[in-house]
Amino acid sequence: MRSNRVGWLMLAPTIAILGIFGIVPFLYVLYVAFHQWNPFGANPHMIYNGADNFRRLVFDNEFLTSIAFTLKFAFFAVVSEVILGYLLAQLFMREFPGRGLFRTIHTLPLIVAPIVVGSVWRLMTTPSIGIIPYLLKSWFGYDLNIGRDATMAFALTVIMDIWHWTPLVTLTLLAALVSLPKEPFEQAQIDGANRWQIFWHVTLPMIRPAILATVFIRLMDALRTVDEVWMLTGGGPGAATRYLGLHIWKIVFPKTDYGYGSATSIIVLYLTLVMCWLLYVALVARRDQKRPS
Amino acid sequence: MKHELRMGLAAMAVGLMTSVMPASADFWSDAGAKYKGVTLHGVTESTPPSNYIKDVLAPAFEKATGIKVEIETTSWDQMYDKAIKDMEAKTGIYDMVYIEQDIIYAYLARDFLVDITKSLKDDPSLKAPEYDETHFTTFANYFKNADGDLFGIPMEAFIKLYLYRTDLFNDPAIKEAFKKETGKDLVPAKTHEEYTQIAEFFTKWGKDHNLELWGTTAQAHTGHPASWYEFFESIAPTFGVYNWGIDASKNYSASVANGGTMNSDKAKAALKYWLHLRDIAPPESPASTWTEVGTTFAAGRAAQGLVYGENAAWIAADAEKSKVVGNVGVALPPLAPGVMEDAEAGKGYIGYYDGGAFGLPVTSKNKEAALLFLQYIGQDSVQGDWAVAAPRITNTATYDDPKVIEMDKKLNGYYTMLKNDGKLFAGAPPYPFHAQVREATAPIFYKILLGEVSSDDGLDQMAAAAEAELKNLGYRK
Repeated sequence: MRSNRVGWLMLAPTIAILGIFGIVPFLYVLYVAFHQWNPFGANPHMIYNGADNFRRLVFDNEFLTSIAFTLKFAFFAVVSEVILGYLLAQLFMREFPGRGLFRTIHTLPLIVAPIVVGSVWRLMTTPSIGIIPYLLKSWFGYDLNIGRDATMAFALTVIMDIWHWTPLVTLTLLAALVSLPKEPFEQAQIDGANRWQIFWHVTLPMIRPAILATVFIRLMDALRTVDEVWMLTGGGPGAATRYLGLHIWKIVFPKTDYGYGSATSIIVLYLTLVMCWLLYVALVARRDQKRPS
Repeated sequence: MKHELRMGLAAMAVGLMTSVMPASADFWSDAGAKYKGVTLHGVTESTPPSNYIKDVLAPAFEKATGIKVEIETTSWDQMYDKAIKDMEAKTGIYDMVYIEQDIIYAYLARDFLVDITKSLKDDPSLKAPEYDETHFTTFANYFKNADGDLFGIPMEAFIKLYLYRTDLFNDPAIKEAFKKETGKDLVPAKTHEEYTQIAEFFTKWGKDHNLELWGTTAQAHTGHPASWYEFFESIAPTFGVYNWGIDASKNYSASVANGGTMNSDKAKAALKYWLHLRDIAPPESPASTWTEVGTTFAAGRAAQGLVYGENAAWIAADAEKSKVVGNVGVALPPLAPGVMEDAEAGKGYIGYYDGGAFGLPVTSKNKEAALLFLQYIGQDSVQGDWAVAAPRITNTATYDDPKVIEMDKKLNGYYTMLKNDGKLFAGAPPYPFHAQVREATAPIFYKILLGEVSSDDGLDQMAAAAEAELKNLGYRK
């Protein structure tokens, strides 16, 4: 009884912070989502409108397009980061001259604020002054203009994200690889397993929890990306890089459509949860079910 | 006796002057004494006039009154985010907010701002002797309510004007080539056809001579509202499409079918004209907002262009930032027939008169101290240096300041144009739904810029989207 009380007491600050900064705002957003509320409308007050905002979302082409672009962005960015991060982690497992220096340089993007990353990439890609269009033109005769080329603008947002966040994946997987015991690998070698078999049957299952955690973190981050993309493309050209975070920002702030923006946020949160759950089922739960008891 | 009388009168005059002058000179320290230790917080867009407030006027005010002023200069979007959130949530963080001319109607509709005229009338002890709201130019009218009360102290005002490169326009070889090619003299354009012809000529000239030179600027960002503004505030009016093509008197109609002009033939012609210019402008144009347009012109990459006046001074006179110092001419924008007549008759306008004011949120916790600061920046005496540092004029007397007259020569008559022709330009229409309609229609506009939808169809869709949004907001019945 006594230990329970102490336990709750210890948890109280965390619960209070979670309640104030997590649960209360969420409940408020949920409440607003069921209202029409634009402070610059003819009636600036909240008007209860049931599920109208959610109904509107289903037919909102801009929202649906934004979901499609965001999923595409998240897929390319996260998959590339995990593959590249794993390869780099494997590289850092080996001894080579300048490893420490390279590892430090490779980690530097992590300490740069997203808004700065976006600004730097914008400077590097602006036609006529950016180094990337200059080099592409000089070497390949290719005119890079992210103000006009939607595919290139999309690709650049993915590349920027990979540049910024691959080090996080590398560090996580490196920590996982370093902590693995040597025995299973030695046993596999004695049994005559080749490199691929060792990777597939030994390494991968053992670092799966780390991969999963990294994928979840990166997926959630990619689905809510705003600052970098806002700086680099402003969501353009057209809606080519108007990802969900940016889409919601535009509804809530410049357009001040608080009710609709709240409904959009709720749906995006729901989508994120569903995606993470599906991923969990696909990568963990199903495999656990197959495992012989 | 006469001599004694004269001496007596002189002594009396000196006595009177010495007894009156300190009272006036000490107003700021006397008035500020009550608020010593107070720190005022303001948020504004990072522009040359705002930076002058932050770097020069705020420290000077602090020295005079003991009231500390912290001015936060940030991007246009962030500035609105912060100010609106603060006033909406009534947190009272800011004592001064920048009010761009186009947002004032929305702020007034929400009662966000303090009535400055009334506040100073109610408490005359706060009224600075040098401050007089009748000294402002007519631009101040944009910040008044129906009763004529002022809700913002004008702090920047400029027109978006037609800049051209005098070195290129006066180059004998170029003039001869232009004459040979078009049969016309190379002079600043007065019509859209002339402007297009000059733009095409210079773009070709740059290409033929392997120069980084194009015929025109274009503020044509494909994901930023700057492009939307350029079209609706600077291009469409020159074709006779005013107030974004929305007619408030006809149930806020935007489409031609309902009485608006957003998708009228004039609007469609204007868009085609501008899209063509965008195509022959420097390659950075699809990623250019107002800032980049100024930079493009200053880098000597465009022979002519429509440029916001706030950038005109540094483009024309700051050799550290601009490659075209001494080679910048100013002119009125090219117009379609009838537009100048509309403007002169007060039925229309020929371009954008932009600017902003500093307002006092009702949620401020330091209203009296903030009122002192607002009067301080509204005095005639601080305007001359401010106008030289940043090309803005908000007080009538500033035009006659010797420093401003000197600067006007360097700018090839920009201030004279602002004084004489400013009345032909206009700010945003008095709608309280500015950002809402823009955001509802801008995605379609970006599609037009990308060629995903034709300009004609796009304008039709925009007119429909504007009406739908206005209905959703409750303005359109």
